[in-house]
Order: sequence, then C-alpha cells, then structure tokens
Amino acid sequence: MRGLVKLTAGELKRLARYKILAASLATSILWIILFLFISKSEAAEIAPHLIIIDVTAMSVLLIGASHHLEKQEGTLKTIIVTPLSLGQILTAKTLSSIALSIQSVAVTCAALYFIHKITFNYILLLFFILIAGASHAAIAFLLSIRSRDFTTMLALYAGYMFVFTIPSFLFNFGIIQAKFEWLLMLSPTHSSSRLIISAVSGEYDYTLVTIGALYLILLTAALFRLVVYPIFKDNAARG
Amino acid sequence: MKPAFTVENLNFKYPTAKEDTIKGISFEVFEGEIFGLLGPSGAGKSTIQKILIKLLEGYRGTIKYFGRDLNSLDNSYYEEIGVGFEVPVHFSKLTALENMKFFSGFYKSRANIQELMERVGLWEYRDVKVAEFSKGMKVRLNFVRAMLNSPRVLFLDEVTNGLDPNNAKIIKDMIAEFRAKGGTVFLTTHLMNDVEQLCDRIAFCVNGRLVETSTPRDLKLKYGKREVKVEYRDNGNLKSALFPLDGIGFNEEFQTLLKFGKIETIHSGETSMEEIFIIVTGVELK
Repeated sequence: MRGLVKLTAGELKRLARYKILAASLATSILWIILFLFISKSEAAEIAPHLIIIDVTAMSVLLIGASHHLEKQEGTLKTIIVTPLSLGQILTAKTLSSIALSIQSVAVTCAALYFIHKITFNYILLLFFILIAGASHAAIAFLLSIRSRDFTTMLALYAGYMFVFTIPSFLFNFGIIQAKFEWLLMLSPTHSSSRLIISAVSGEYDYTLVTIGALYLILLTAALFRLVVYPIFKDNAARG
Repeated sequence: MKPAFTVENLNFKYPTAKEDTIKGISFEVFEGEIFGLLGPSGAGKSTIQKILIKLLEGYRGTIKYFGRDLNSLDNSYYEEIGVGFEVPVHFSKLTALENMKFFSGFYKSRANIQELMERVGLWEYRDVKVAEFSKGMKVRLNFVRAMLNSPRVLFLDEVTNGLDPNNAKIIKDMIAEFRAKGGTVFLTTHLMNDVEQLCDRIAFCVNGRLVETSTPRDLKLKYGKREVKVEYRDNGNLKSALFPLDGIGFNEEFQTLLKFGKIETIHSGETSMEEIFIIVTGVELK
C-alpha cells in the first residue's frame, strides 16, 4: 500500500512537472470563458459533453502520452525492476489519470456554479467519473501497448473514435435514433456518456445506467486482467 | 564459492521471432565474482540479462538464484538486485536527487544517496534537472540508481560507456569495492578495458550461444602466442626479433641480445582481449 501511495504521488508530481496539469487547467479555463458567453440553458446543455471529453478523451491522451514518454525515457523499465507489483504500477497510473479528470471536472463544475448557479449530484458524478475514467484508462493502456509511438497511438485512437465515440456524439445530438441506444451501449464512450449525462441532468434511465455501469466495470476488469496485464511488462521491457 | 545463478539449457524465443534468440546456454555466476558477458551486437547478451532480471518471461530451461527457481520468486527479488541499464533511465524533468529519492522509496534497504552521489561527483548537481545532464552524468546517475537498494547482485549493462577515463575509474573502483564486500556482478559490455580490469570470469555470447567461458588470464594464455618479441637498436636502426617462449632461458641468441643489445622493448606474445574477442566471436569491435 505504501508503495502504491508513493507511486501515485510520484505520478501526480510528474503531471505537474511535465506541465500536463497546467495544460489540463488551461483547457478548463477555455470552458470557463465559453460559459461566460452562453446562457444558463446552453451551459447546462453543453456541460456534460465537456465533462465526457475530459473523462474519456483526455484520459486516453494523457495515458498514451505519458506511456510513450516513459518508454522513451526508459523509466518504465526501471520502475518494473523495483519491488512494486505490476498491479500497483497500473493502478497508480490509472489513479493519477482519474485525479486529473476530477481536477478538470471540478473546475468546470465550479465555473458552472459561480457563473450560472448550475449544480448537480456531485457524489454520483464522482462515482461515474471513477468508473468511466478507469475504463478509458484500460483502453488507453491497450492502445499504448499496441502502438509503436505516440503518433501511432493517436492513429489507433482516431480509429477507436470513429467506431465508438462519433456514433455516441451523433446519438447525443439526436442524429442517431433512440431505439439504437442499446446497441450503442457497447461503446465504452457511450456507456460513460450515459452515466455522466444522467448525473449532470438528474434524469435517470435506471436500467441503462445500471447496465452501463456494470458493463464498464466488467470491461475495465477484463481489459486489465486479460489484455493489458499480460503484455505490459514485455512491452515496457522492449522500450 | 556458491553459485548466485545457475543457468541450465536456457532457451528463449521472442513472440514474433522465427527462431530462438537464446539457444540452450548454460553457465554459473558465483557469489562474490564479477562475471562478464561479451559478444557482438544482437548476440543475445541483453536478452540474457533481461531474463535474469525477470523483465522477460516464458523462457525454457532452468535458472536458479541462490538455489531457488527464478520463476518462483516474487517481486521481493528486486529488493536484492540492482539494475543499471545501458541507456539512461530517469525522469528528465525531475532533478537528479528527486529521481533518486523517488526510486529509493520503493526499497526496504536503502543506501545513502548523498554518499553515492558524492562518490560519482554528482552531489553538487543534485538539484539540476536530469534533462540538463550530459551523457556521462546520466551514466553515472544510472550507476547510483542501480546501487540505491544496497543490492546483493548488480546487473550492469555498458556501465562505463560514454565516461571519461577519470569517471570510468571511479565507477570501476566502486564495482571492485562492491565485489570485495561480497557482492556479485553480472556485467554486459563491449569495452575490453572494463573486462580486463574488472572481470573474474567472462563468457562470449555469439548468435545466442555461449562459445567460450573462462578467466581473462586463461583466455590470454589460450589464444596468446608463446613467444617474446624484442625491439632493439642496431647501428641506430630499429630492429625486432621473435623468440619462442619455451626454453627461452637457453636460447643463446636471446641471451646475447639481452647482454649486448640496445633493447628498447620486450613483449610476450600475450593476446589482447580485443584480439580474443575477434577470434572467438568472428566480429570486429567497433
């Protein structure tokens, strides 16, 4: 446990040193500026989508960038030859990615409150961010270890977005009909989107939310256990 | 001496490779010795080291670490070994001291970071970001990283590559001191100076096989020419003569040259490690 805490603290420290935290805050400031120029109803409409981007796309990009940078610097190898377990290493990276999402969402929520007096169920949102963030961390690791460098990883992620993210956005903007949502729930991004929109809007389809949450939890466990864990060490060793 | 590592019939194939990279090798590394693994690029040296430090799994054959099967060891194995990689392995945006403190924090046994950094001449640069370090400074920091947990066994890959002679000597002295205190060193290198000055035994790896394992002295005797070369001046001209080493005490020509010649140099036909490397591996050193 002590090792996990130290490792996570180290990850967070590096997020600050490598200016990733600052970049994330800068993105949040863009959202704040946007909120200043739109109405309360427009802000309420757009807010969940910004949070979805923070929790899904930003997580994937952060983990991908950090994975390839650490491979380039050789630090993954040298962490692996410490007494830490691979589980601790992956958990610390996932936690730090989720922490960054929470920080970004917290700024967005604060801006929504102070500018438009918009509030939501923050506890539930936090819970859903944990689930969505963890599943997208698993996806990010999968894409990272399957790519040669960050550029190839971006290309893979673009493919992922084409299949899983764009249909979800088309659905959210009413272009894909509601009857297809069950099929769309197979998309980790759409399941995450369903959870986050529910927490922000306060309108729940309990069946879809429950299935979405369970699906993401099972998907996260399966991806880490069956795909990421067995090849992460070998991938790091080759870096 | 008891064996630190006993490797028997080790085979390893990378998942995407057509054939085994390591082909049935066997060797022992004894506790308290410096064992050098030499060979041309791509011979399998790094693969062997990665298997021994448990970075690569799925090998065939047996590896015992102080009598225990390497496969059965959990992560506490890393409490006992220190690994110095060939390429620098530090967070470039953190300072040297921050890097060392970060890695040191994961071990139960911790060496004195200040002492180690002072010894390699990096303490005064402790608050400088590693990104601003020269290659030599990063190599020295790599060595400190490997020593952070006061290991029982050190794995060092090209440990002095890129260092000036003064800093290379400091590192070599530290390795020799580590051995003198009972530590075991597994050294992978292509620098023959390091081999001659440090290694108790060496093994040559060629195309995934160990083709020769011996002490540097025995190898020199085996591959050396049993002859003596004398350079001398004769009427101002530099000349040289070769004499067989066997029975040299009774060689009249040699005795005469010793007594009356103006000798400038005398060399036995001892082969250099570079020449042995080329003979054994069939590959020129670059």
